[in-house]
Amino acid sequence: MSSRVLVALRVPGPPERAFRVFTEEIGAWWRPSPLFGFTPRGPGVLAIEPPDADAAGRVVERLADGRLFVIGEITAWEPGRRLAFNWRQAAFAPDQNTHVDVRFEAVGEETRVTVQHTGWDSVPPVHVARHALPDAVFSRRLADWWRALLASMGGYL
Amino acid sequence: MSPAAQIDNGGEDEGLGRTLAALADPHRRRVVQILSERPRRAGELAQALALSPPAMSRHLRTLRECGLVEERHDGFDARVRVYQLRPEPMANLAAWLRETEAMWAAQLTAFRDHLLARDAAGPP
Repeated sequence: MSSRVLVALRVPGPPERAFRVFTEEIGAWWRPSPLFGFTPRGPGVLAIEPPDADAAGRVVERLADGRLFVIGEITAWEPGRRLAFNWRQAAFAPDQNTHVDVRFEAVGEETRVTVQHTGWDSVPPVHVARHALPDAVFSRRLADWWRALLASMGGYL
Repeated sequence: MSPAAQIDNGGEDEGLGRTLAALADPHRRRVVQILSERPRRAGELAQALALSPPAMSRHLRTLRECGLVEERHDGFDARVRVYQLRPEPMANLAAWLRETEAMWAAQLTAFRDHLLARDAAGPP
């Protein structure tokens, strides 16, 4: 099974603008998710610090108490085209990491934004979800998954 | 194992703990990745990972003990044994990936709504 998650959506305006708003205004549009909380002290406000001559740039979460949680360093910064960064949640073990790659492509007068999130196979869900994901949600997802699996196995039974 | 038995959470933590320990090793993660394409013989796996047969055999035993992989006889030649993934232990990862997908779909929708609201408010 691949552990790659791929999601794409078209947004209005050219890629340059989409990239600028995505990075400069992430604090305004990002919706904190209890399931994907970066730190138990959150949620705070996300910010993207662009790379400069001295630093690689990073994605951070500013917490209400003034502290900063570093989600990950920026690994690709190509304004108008691509942004990539590491994604670590506080619950991850020190050697665990996931990676997010966001592409911006012109489609007519709009922009297709494609997010690829990889690396979850190195972070067993139990680390991040044991206390976050209600059992009922897991059970329902599991039931869906089993149904799909059994359907695909139908040919062998 | 029936689906109902798997969904019942009795003893799940222990099982997940074992799965987690088994997947902590990069060789074993690679084995799982290779087996996700199709079942393979132990020899093929050893070759793919450049491991000695005894080392491969130890990894396969660990993976078997935690229930990630199972051994079966080749349908054509009963003397040959092949390894394949068992689906159940990966179920939580599958569920988690769906949650991740849903999270990003919601984030991108929020991003698009933000852009649309800016457009409605005036020129960029």
